[in-house]
Amino acid sequence: MNRAIGAIVKKDMREITANKQLLFTIVIVPLVLTLVVPSIFLLTAHFAPEEADDMKELIKLMPETMQKMGMEQLMIRLLLDNVLPMFFLIIPIMASSVMAASSFVGEKEQSTLETLLYSPLTVKQLFYAKVLASFLMSMLVSWASFFVMLLGVGLEHYVLTGDMLHPGINWLPVMLLLSPAVSLIAITLIVRGSAKAQNVMEAQQKAAFLVLPVVLLIVGQFSGLMLINVWILIGFSAVLGFLAWVLLRTSVGKFCGEMLLSGR
Amino acid sequence: MDAVVMNHLSKKYSGGKTAVEDMSLTLKPGEIFGFLGPNGAGKTTTVKVLNGMLQPSEGDCLVFGESPSKNPEMVHAISGVMTEHAQMYNNLTGLQNLIFYGAVFGIGEAESRKRAQELLHQLELSDAAGQKLSAYSTGMRQRLSIARALMHRPKILFLDEPTSGLDPESAYNVNQMIQNLAGDKGMTIFLCTHQLRYAQEICTRYGLIDEGRLLTEGTLEELRAGVSSGMKLRIRTDCQPDCAAGYADTGQNGKSRGNVSETKERPGVYDIELPIESEDEIPRIVSRIAASGGNIYHVSAKRPSLEDIYFSLTAERR
Repeated sequence: MNRAIGAIVKKDMREITANKQLLFTIVIVPLVLTLVVPSIFLLTAHFAPEEADDMKELIKLMPETMQKMGMEQLMIRLLLDNVLPMFFLIIPIMASSVMAASSFVGEKEQSTLETLLYSPLTVKQLFYAKVLASFLMSMLVSWASFFVMLLGVGLEHYVLTGDMLHPGINWLPVMLLLSPAVSLIAITLIVRGSAKAQNVMEAQQKAAFLVLPVVLLIVGQFSGLMLINVWILIGFSAVLGFLAWVLLRTSVGKFCGEMLLSGR
Repeated sequence: MDAVVMNHLSKKYSGGKTAVEDMSLTLKPGEIFGFLGPNGAGKTTTVKVLNGMLQPSEGDCLVFGESPSKNPEMVHAISGVMTEHAQMYNNLTGLQNLIFYGAVFGIGEAESRKRAQELLHQLELSDAAGQKLSAYSTGMRQRLSIARALMHRPKILFLDEPTSGLDPESAYNVNQMIQNLAGDKGMTIFLCTHQLRYAQEICTRYGLIDEGRLLTEGTLEELRAGVSSGMKLRIRTDCQPDCAAGYADTGQNGKSRGNVSETKERPGVYDIELPIESEDEIPRIVSRIAASGGNIYHVSAKRPSLEDIYFSLTAERR
């Protein structure tokens, strides 16, 4: 059974990577978020006047340990440990939303869904295979972006200040727990929408205007947790991880071949 | 164990349309069963119900002892399905498609590749193995679908219009292949088609359906015995029509039972078609025409074809 699921995952990934236009958008958005945006931040932090009133107000809002840093250092730490991790909630979902949205309805439009349903896989296994393909894609892009960001931002920081830059401990729960959990929740919801959709456009519409904003809005409310305590962040991420697992288990529900083919 | 058992099977769609109604049928392993009827008669729906793709509204069915509605994946493991709506991936080559479906059925890549190449060779697609499916013609796609359905060496093969879109040579090869699969490998074939002449060439047993109902089922001989029109004798002679018909036979009221028509190409020569009970009548009719001085240009006995049987049955219903 693992071989069958593996084959579907591989096929779905290959379908995305073979489409040059799609691949371009998947690559360009994370690059902008992890290289271009941080570069602008770094340059601003380096060249901004230290005495700006707005910045003083901002410093007052920070935890005491951070208030002791110089303005440039504080801005860089803020960027690296508080702003950029948020991007890693957006990047994996954006990278996989197109793939997740077309997971079932894309097969239906190509008339290949029925062929897949004639396989010895259960509908549940097929659903897991589709979620897994998008999830792996999201994590692949996420981790690749992470390393590109570390390299790019680190290099720029070294050139500007002559110091090495080390990411904070927050990154560990964000990359290992929070980002995968949020991605899994979004992907499961989008794949579920794809199974019920009549065409790819409907599924993408649902993903872009319903699932994505709602998931990000809810998660965005908790971004302040990163400033408080890493253990609270881990706890929150673990809860989201559990929610993702429950959602994945219950999403298949009463799906059957007849429902998938008719979209009802 | 029976290959397929349908027990008062019905399928009513949510829109209210009844596609299959009270169908009961049993298939033995190794038969080539022709499931015949016009478009929209319920053939594809029956295949989908037998493969768990649709849930029956009433009745039940089994495929080699497994229930498609309860354990569809168990049925899929032993059945190969080729329908118009079960297509493959345009962005993959023919070979890649087959290897992918092999993997979906749990077959390792090396074995999948071997089986795929064998099937591509048998279906004369070896040259197109490396071409993307988007470059395939309708007939090539059709043959590749047959190959796909055979990748996991199923016990039963469901084929929906397998030769539509095929040129005569390819159709002949596919027919040979189907017959070999049933004959040598003992595979059961459930063949749906509206082409009755084609079905008559390769099937061993038939089920005729119309508007979701099974009209009759059996071997060709059994079906022939079941319909009233028996054998027909065709004679071409220059004997006068009333004389010829009279010589041939007369009904109870003295009128001829046959159809007589003058040929266009040879005026004065007539085609006479007569219903006869058995071949024993032929020498008597021919010798009577000859004795009256008529020349005989053609004599043939025609047994009712599937088409004749089908039209006779549907006419009875309407």
